Amino acid sequence: MGIVLAVFLIAGVAAAVALGRDSGAGGDSGTAAKTVRGVIGSEKAEFFADPDTVKALAAHGFTVRTETSGSWAMDRLPLKGYDFAFPGSKAPADELSRSAETRGGPLRPFYSPLVVVAHRNAAEVLAANGLARLRTGAPEATDGPGGADGPGGGSKWATQGTLLMGPYLAAAEDDRTWQQLKGASGHAELSGTVFITSTDPVTSNSGALYLAAASYAADGGRVATDAKAVERTAPLLRKLVQVQGAQQTSSDAPFRDFISGVGNPLVLVYESQVASLLMNGQRQEVGDLVVLYPDTTVSSDHTLVPLTDHGRELGELLSTDPGLRKLAVRHGFRPQGAAAEFTAATAGHTAYIDQRLTGVRQAPVPTAELLRSMARRARG
Amino acid sequence: MRDRRPPHARRPPYARRVLLPLLAAALLLPLAACTSDGGDGRGSGPGRSDDGRARTGTLRVLASSELSDMKALLEEARKATGITVRPTWAGTLDAVERLASGRADGAFDAVWLSSNDYLRLDPEAAGRIASETPLMASPVALGVRPATMRRLGWDAASVSWAQVHRAVAAGDLTYGMTDPNRSNSGFSALISIASGLSGAQAALTDDDVRRAGPKLREFFAGQRLTSGSSGWLASAYARRSTVDALINYESVLLSLNRDDDAGLTVIRPRDGVVTADYPLSALTGATPEARDAVRTLTEHFRSTAVQREITARTLRRPVVAAARPADPLAPEQRRELPFPGSRSVADGLLSSYEHRLRRPSRTVYVLDTSGSMKGRRLAQLKSALNGLTGHFREREQVTLLPFGSAVKQVRTHTVDPADPKAGPAAIRADAAALSAEGDTAIYSSLAAAYDHLGPDTESAFTSIVLMTDGENTAGRSAAEFEAFYRALPEARRVTPVFPVVFGDSDRSELEAIAALTGGRLFDGTKEEGPGSLDGAFEEIRGYQ
Repeated sequence: MGIVLAVFLIAGVAAAVALGRDSGAGGDSGTAAKTVRGVIGSEKAEFFADPDTVKALAAHGFTVRTETSGSWAMDRLPLKGYDFAFPGSKAPADELSRSAETRGGPLRPFYSPLVVVAHRNAAEVLAANGLARLRTGAPEATDGPGGADGPGGGSKWATQGTLLMGPYLAAAEDDRTWQQLKGASGHAELSGTVFITSTDPVTSNSGALYLAAASYAADGGRVATDAKAVERTAPLLRKLVQVQGAQQTSSDAPFRDFISGVGNPLVLVYESQVASLLMNGQRQEVGDLVVLYPDTTVSSDHTLVPLTDHGRELGELLSTDPGLRKLAVRHGFRPQGAAAEFTAATAGHTAYIDQRLTGVRQAPVPTAELLRSMARRARG
Repeated sequence: MRDRRPPHARRPPYARRVLLPLLAAALLLPLAACTSDGGDGRGSGPGRSDDGRARTGTLRVLASSELSDMKALLEEARKATGITVRPTWAGTLDAVERLASGRADGAFDAVWLSSNDYLRLDPEAAGRIASETPLMASPVALGVRPATMRRLGWDAASVSWAQVHRAVAAGDLTYGMTDPNRSNSGFSALISIASGLSGAQAALTDDDVRRAGPKLREFFAGQRLTSGSSGWLASAYARRSTVDALINYESVLLSLNRDDDAGLTVIRPRDGVVTADYPLSALTGATPEARDAVRTLTEHFRSTAVQREITARTLRRPVVAAARPADPLAPEQRRELPFPGSRSVADGLLSSYEHRLRRPSRTVYVLDTSGSMKGRRLAQLKSALNGLTGHFREREQVTLLPFGSAVKQVRTHTVDPADPKAGPAAIRADAAALSAEGDTAIYSSLAAAYDHLGPDTESAFTSIVLMTDGENTAGRSAAEFEAFYRALPEARRVTPVFPVVFGDSDRSELEAIAALTGGRLFDGTKEEGPGSLDGAFEEIRGYQ
């Protein structure tokens, strides 16, 4: 895995920012005693870089320096000298817990399910052909694209729905094209094979979790536990990946392309990215976005593996401190336990966000080793 | 606009060398520094010498050369945000190479290319991108003359690549396109066309490319103009009324309509496009301040008001829904064709284009070997010719026509696909045997080159390269040559002369030859790097 090194070379923004702030605010450090170093998945970089996060952590005496790495590459990193590792998934965290010397069990301060963002035309065609179900009668209905918010922040059309994984995977298996779907002919952009854009599963967490969800759904609701199971779904997973051509390595870039109207009309992202856009973005950036929750999905469990006592304290702080939980919500994450903070913060956006994840089945994730082998076979 | 040279293009080491001084020079030209009012408090006031180092309020950006049309908007961004962008213009591939090799580390805070598609196929380069956000978009399109549209009876909104192919194969449509090995627009066009004609419903594979081979060959048989830059392509097109269409970015074609009254009907083929999306990309090595600056600039450029400015001025498409595309931009959406997933497919396609699909080239090198070339100059010429032989294309016909008081000899070699090393070896041997002697019969020798090429200018891209180190002292006069050229049948006049200024040659004399024949002047007066004889010969490859 040559990527491990490459990824490791990406010295974290967050780290640099934290450093900058630290030296800048060096004068008043009555409490600033603990400097902790950690390696994190890139999807949390913005959270740790947020000046308010830096401030909130400093109030508890923490200066956090982070470096980003692909979650699935962390177990290959030399972790000596780090206080914590914070992958975007439970499986690599479990693996780290086994291999590294840890201080207590892993902590899961927040999570975020994977969703598919679709442009309106694509979502409607998928729905018309039984590949998705759009939520109707929702609190949307106001004055159209880019207009003022309705009660749930929606538009004239349905802005939330369910991606039906069974029919979708069957279509993928058949190399179904948009041209073969009814209702697509009126939209010139809907042409070619129907596929969901994901990140590169070999290097990136969301791309790997896509394969976890797809293999679970395709194998009759069974999580892969051995090489045979990997074998069974390998041809389908290969299709899902090969059709995409060049893939990006961080979940940020395909989402930005999507909201820019560039590229494929179906993109796999974290719900946190959508929620963060809705809460902090300018209205104009939302466009004709529709959020499809796959009926079988995987949540990205942001799992902190403590490697030192300080690392453990940080994990506990992130899990319990109301201020930090609120900040995690600001970045679109769902804190573990009581959902009140997330529900309150997304109250204005229920046309897009399914707060209760009704009817969404959470697929278990295979071990890191199996998932890596799935990814390599799909990509290679 | 030499914006892209994908790496498979077996660039000889010297080509890499020639690039550096250019980039270094560009580094020292801060944009908008002279217009600063110095009152923005961000430390980039006037009168400060610019050493290319990191500085608060200044963002060092490695940018695609075609983005130079954003200068006014960058200046407005400086006024609005206090951030001065110091661009270093480069080709996309050059930028990717610099990133991958680490040479950009510490020298730049961000890159801004027409597209990161190619960059992503290089793990070393891709690993240095921390974040990227598209700022505007322009798809590859086909611009067709009004008369041709009427003749073909096309409905612009429904034309597909397959339909374009049929028209070309039937001999009803000819076009010009930039060289995919040197220009991002040409490269994107090649991907679009191969996807369209292979019927590939997903990302292109080697099989798709192979299957589409016959159709692609027919398609590229209709290519009448090739160019290393969009600018020269447009002027060559304006000159050649027999060329029906141009393939380039939609924004370039619409700008020709706006600025030059080209009257083109701009078609985005219905089966899909490849779009340049100009992502402003922060580098992993940038300081927190620089990354904040990238974020601030990104927000500025993505605001609705600035998006409206961008689309109005550049005729590229806005990337936020609230800003509507400028007037001439058709609102209907197009499918984005997936970019090949591996370097091998992308490079394989380029190599097929070079060696098998495109029309071959026939080039006559009219080389001054008069007495004044003796010594160092002749050595330079031989070395430049040697450098060239490293990357002649298969099927290419190369003629060396050295002259002094008259043409000394005419030696032609073809690069045979069955034995691609023999031709270049023979050319090297001929080059080694050149000797300097006699007067300088420029015009007689040029006329001989036209005679050598003969009446067939259809089956290959024909061109003449003229290298001379002095003024015309023997044979025909300039006026006699002009009369000769004007008396040629139209088919023979399409061959352009690309003169290279070298030694003591008379620039205005050479400029007149380029203007008369529809060529372009290249500078070979420098010792090395761009503007040297090596560099000029290398750059002319994009036009052959």
